[in-house]
Amino acid sequence: MLYSFKVALRSLWFYRWINLLSILSIATGLFIFGVVLFSLYNIERATHRAPEKFTITVFLKDRAKESEIQSLVNRLSDEKLISRVKYISKDEALRELKESLKDAAYVLEGLDENPLFPSIEIKLKEDAFNRRDVDYFIKRLRRLDVVEDVFYGEDIFSSIKSLYRNFRVASILLIVLFSVAIVFVSYSTVKILFFKRAEEIEIYKLLGATKGFIRGPFIFEGTMIGLFGGLIGSAGLLALFDLLKGLGNPEIPLVRMLVLPPEIVAVIPVSGLILGLIGSVIAIGRLRY
Amino acid sequence: MMIQFREVTKIYDNITALRRVSFSIGKGEYVFVTGPSGAGKSTLLKLIYLAEKPDEGSISIAGYSTDTLKERAIPYLRRNIGVVFQDFKLLENKTVYDNIAIALRIRGVGEREIRERVHEALKLVNLRHKADNLPSALSGGEQQRVTIARAIVGEPTVLLADEPTGNLDVDNAAGIMKIFSEIHAKGTTIVFATHNRDLYRNTGKRVIKLDSGNIVYDDME
Ligand SMILES: Nc1ncnc2c1ncn2[C@@H]1O[C@H](COP(=O)(O)OP(=O)(O)OP(=O)(O)O)[C@@H](O)[C@H]1O
Ligand SMILES: [Mg+2]
Repeated sequence: MLYSFKVALRSLWFYRWINLLSILSIATGLFIFGVVLFSLYNIERATHRAPEKFTITVFLKDRAKESEIQSLVNRLSDEKLISRVKYISKDEALRELKESLKDAAYVLEGLDENPLFPSIEIKLKEDAFNRRDVDYFIKRLRRLDVVEDVFYGEDIFSSIKSLYRNFRVASILLIVLFSVAIVFVSYSTVKILFFKRAEEIEIYKLLGATKGFIRGPFIFEGTMIGLFGGLIGSAGLLALFDLLKGLGNPEIPLVRMLVLPPEIVAVIPVSGLILGLIGSVIAIGRLRY
Repeated sequence: MMIQFREVTKIYDNITALRRVSFSIGKGEYVFVTGPSGAGKSTLLKLIYLAEKPDEGSISIAGYSTDTLKERAIPYLRRNIGVVFQDFKLLENKTVYDNIAIALRIRGVGEREIRERVHEALKLVNLRHKADNLPSALSGGEQQRVTIARAIVGEPTVLLADEPTGNLDVDNAAGIMKIFSEIHAKGTTIVFATHNRDLYRNTGKRVIKLDSGNIVYDDME
């Protein structure tokens, strides 16, 4: 075990250019792997905040009077489709926005005037749900004088959702593709090293070396190539994240909301290790005596 | 019986290297295998250390038959068989010391013990001063002695030697013959392939003579 490890380290150093090249290609692959996971994670987080299915948001005209709004709220409360109505004033909307921006709230400090619209949030009854009734209801709302615009949650939600679904499918394909590529890099590196030492291996066999003794160093080597590639890939991802955060100038609060979970940083070297291991095991194949 | 051949035939492509060969060698015997070049001496040894499989017949070594031997068991069986290869089979990128040490490393012997035993083996073949050289820096005779040291360092129960003195002058050859006698005295079974009659004449040892793959003589010299 220890001997295999020493042999592997020596071989890593002896063939350092081949190995470095492999490590860098694996690092690149795993870096992209990480970027994909990172994007996927953040898009999912973003879509979780998206409006829900049974919610209609009615944006009111800025000049709408309190009394008009109050009567609309009262009328809506009587609708049989609706389970709950909530009025959100301009000030409340601003406060909510500030809250959701958290430490990026200073973004809004330069504003002289509140740019937001007052709105009414309508929650539909889920059991009485009927798309045609809802559409008709929305049409009626739009015709009202005090109403600026109406958003139905599901429309936005479903388009974001389908975007996310497509992106997820693409990501999975990409990750599978890169995994195969990384396995292949490890496979061919170990194969080359194995061929370079074929004569040596024949002699070991004749002297009574077990398969484990012969395989050990190559498997360690492939695994370490994967692991080092993964560590570099992780470092690259962290660097990219820092760069994004640094660029995150106040006009783009979106950047400030990005999150790089430690799980993704950790999963990259682990994937590298596993993929490197798989590649080297395939490369050695079955040893015959 | 340490080694037993039953009707063994070995065919390479279309050359019959051994034809229905039968013999047995007991534990602790010292046997010479002789015959002209191409007679099948090396093939016979290769069959013993399982580098080749018989095409017909069966071989048993230390009680293990080639018919039933599991591939997994081969390395362990080989550890009991030291081989002096005709073509040396030294690792060109490793020092003399490492070439010998590897035979013990594959057995999982600790480095401290390896150091002791390798130096002992080197002393035996008169090569202590060359421990740190690469094989390419050695003469043919010196390389041959490294191969012998590697074959005996593991203290095998069977020692197979394929022309182990082929590259040696008379003095060195006599030295090697003496080492073999000492190893034999400790109970090691030795099979010694050579076409040099001088090495076994008047020794009173058993000689198996091959010609074109057939045993033509098997008796005491
Ligand atoms: N790998 C091989 N492929 C094909 N033919 C082979 C192979 N090995 C040996 N032979 C043939 O088998 C026959 C016996 O070869 P072997 O090496 O056993 O002879 P030998 O008695 O050891 O000869 P020498 O004294 O020259 O070493 C020869 O005709 C040789 O050409
Ligand atoms: Mg020969």
